[in-house]
Amino acid sequence: MSTFKLTNKIKIVLKHEYLSKVKTKSFLIGTFVAPLAIVALFGVMIAATVIFKDTTERKLAIVDQTNYLGQKLVDTDTSKYYLTDKFENDLIKLTENAEIDGYVLLKKDILDSGEVPIYTQGGGGIGFVTLIERNLGRIVRKERLTRSGTPDEVIKLVDSGIEIKTQKVTKEGIKDDKTQVLAYVGYALGFVIYMLMFLYGNHIFRSVLEEKSNRIIEIIVSSAKPFDILLGKVLGIGLVGLTQVFAWIAIVVLLLTFAGQIAGAFIDIDPQALQAGMSAQEAQTQQVEKMLSGIPEISPWLGIGFVFYFLSGYFIYSCLFAAVASAVDNEQDAQQYMVPITIPIIIPIALIPMIMANPDSVPAVAASLFPFFSPILMIVRVASTQVPIWQILTSVVLLISTFFGIMWFTAKIYRIGILMTGKKPTIKDFYKWIKMS
Amino acid sequence: MKILKLNSVGKYFGDYKATNNVSFSVEKGTIFGLLGPNGAGKTTIIRQITNIYYPDEGEILLFDEPVSSKHQNQIGYLPEERGLYKKLKVIEQLVYFGELKGLSKKEAEKRARYWLVKLEANDWAEKKIQELSKGMQQKIQFITTILHEPEFLILDEPFSGFDPVNSEMLKNIILELKNQGKTIILSTHVMSQVEELCDEIVLINKGKIVLSGKVRDIKKSFGRNNLKLEFEGDDSFLNDLEQDKIIQRNNHSAEIKIYNESEAKQILNSIKESVFIYKFELAEPSLHEIFINTVGKSNLNEQEILEIQK
Repeated sequence: MSTFKLTNKIKIVLKHEYLSKVKTKSFLIGTFVAPLAIVALFGVMIAATVIFKDTTERKLAIVDQTNYLGQKLVDTDTSKYYLTDKFENDLIKLTENAEIDGYVLLKKDILDSGEVPIYTQGGGGIGFVTLIERNLGRIVRKERLTRSGTPDEVIKLVDSGIEIKTQKVTKEGIKDDKTQVLAYVGYALGFVIYMLMFLYGNHIFRSVLEEKSNRIIEIIVSSAKPFDILLGKVLGIGLVGLTQVFAWIAIVVLLLTFAGQIAGAFIDIDPQALQAGMSAQEAQTQQVEKMLSGIPEISPWLGIGFVFYFLSGYFIYSCLFAAVASAVDNEQDAQQYMVPITIPIIIPIALIPMIMANPDSVPAVAASLFPFFSPILMIVRVASTQVPIWQILTSVVLLISTFFGIMWFTAKIYRIGILMTGKKPTIKDFYKWIKMS
Repeated sequence: MKILKLNSVGKYFGDYKATNNVSFSVEKGTIFGLLGPNGAGKTTIIRQITNIYYPDEGEILLFDEPVSSKHQNQIGYLPEERGLYKKLKVIEQLVYFGELKGLSKKEAEKRARYWLVKLEANDWAEKKIQELSKGMQQKIQFITTILHEPEFLILDEPFSGFDPVNSEMLKNIILELKNQGKTIILSTHVMSQVEELCDEIVLINKGKIVLSGKVRDIKKSFGRNNLKLEFEGDDSFLNDLEQDKIIQRNNHSAEIKIYNESEAKQILNSIKESVFIYKFELAEPSLHEIFINTVGKSNLNEQEILEIQK
């Protein structure tokens, strides 16, 4: 334990483990195909929003028999409504031939009857109807109040009251939306760490077990210190994991950069924007930006945190997996000892919803500081809330000291276990081995 | 010059004494036989020499220094239970083990190629270990042992898995290494190999040395009291002898223990009419017999001691 510097032998084991894993097919598939599949999924989602958005982009002609409500309706959204003085007969024909999307008839008695006929080719979805209902409803309500002699202040009160409320709701909604998105980003990151810990823990497990069950280990331990072998192995496979994570990050960043352009290809240019004097390209960019604004900005600290918590989690659990693999002869014998190791990896996954709902609550803070849960839960909190710096530092210190403790424990078990064959070790044996070396 | 010295080495696993007060030394440029029945403690001794285990008592000196991890590059160890990475290519495997023993990548590859050619295994360099036959794997394993040109080698059952042709080739390489001044510990259960190759031996039983010395001296000390017979004809005369005396009995040969020459004459007289004799020889006991006798006796002694203690 005294020599933590990279000796030559550690480097050789490290290099061997790294190169022999990086060259495997499963690594290449996991590194390059998996993120492409995820990005493709994103692409489908973006394409879907674009397609659905298109159908709601209808423009309706307004036939205004009241001679004043029409203008007010157009003012609510010039991109949706426009006034027309064509006759109804012509409009029906135009609608029929799909030259226009449809038209709304504002009858003279609209304030009394409240009837608003809309003529389209059919369909259009609920969103489309509610939009007109909302826009027109407010205008009609205000007019009715005015007509019945309601004082202006009251009208203003009612109107502005509605106005303020909607705005607040909208604002709150947007804000809420973003934290929710970030919380889900945290969930995703936590889940990725969870999977990586299992994946690479399993790599270590197999690597140690292969050397033990194929009796390669006898030659290796006669060439290098068991601790050097263990450390070289853990570092080498950890580096494989890191390579994979960085490749993923690079691929995702690269694809997100081009995602705008890819999405742009699907978007029709808003003619209104063109009229406003923008070039086609500007209009397109603006629209893509509007769309992508749903994706919250991710700070680089989240990336750094992700790498740190992945590595610390990996180191702690890979050592435990190595300890078990070194002690047993085959996978069946390992089952009994895998359970106590995998449970603390799985528990945090069950806790994530609780953390997402109340990331600053005392239980959430406590769970995220517990070193065996920290790698998964702290990244969820970092993503979904402003975690105080002292908590981050505490978790870093706890994780590093836990790693050293586990490494010490594993080195002792590994040293003895790796050469023990023939019988399944008991807990008592583990205790004896730790005392022995 | 003594390359290796063990002074009263003891190793315990809990209450179990895996090696107990073991002392011997190995002369430079000799082949030294480390013998004993299964479970005698040979592997434990080897693991202490290769710095895998640390002795609980006594000391082990290699090149006049206590064994430590810095000696690991100077030892070539072929374990009895051997293994290679199944999915690795032969050349990658050899280079990795070479590097672990302190060679540069380039040097390891150069030497690996040399040995592959020498052992007629060059065609397999790019093949995965799992594609090779057992005999081929054994050759690769042997190359990993000698790649770094160690001064001191430990070969545990080096001939297992080899056909007679390859065994002969391996034997010649071992003798060649000896002639180059390398020191070799050979551990095996095949006594004919020990007689052919070893200069000196120790015989271990239950963690203790029960016999040691030069092969020649040991055999001499057991005296010429074996009668080796090869014959054609009725072998029923063997049934008339005391059965304890028959060491080996095959179809047309037998080895019989005798106490004096007149006993040999008596046997000759009784059979010369009934069988045709090819060979009638008074010989030293074989190591095989010495092994069985000595181990048997030491086990018996232990039982007697236990019974007395009761």
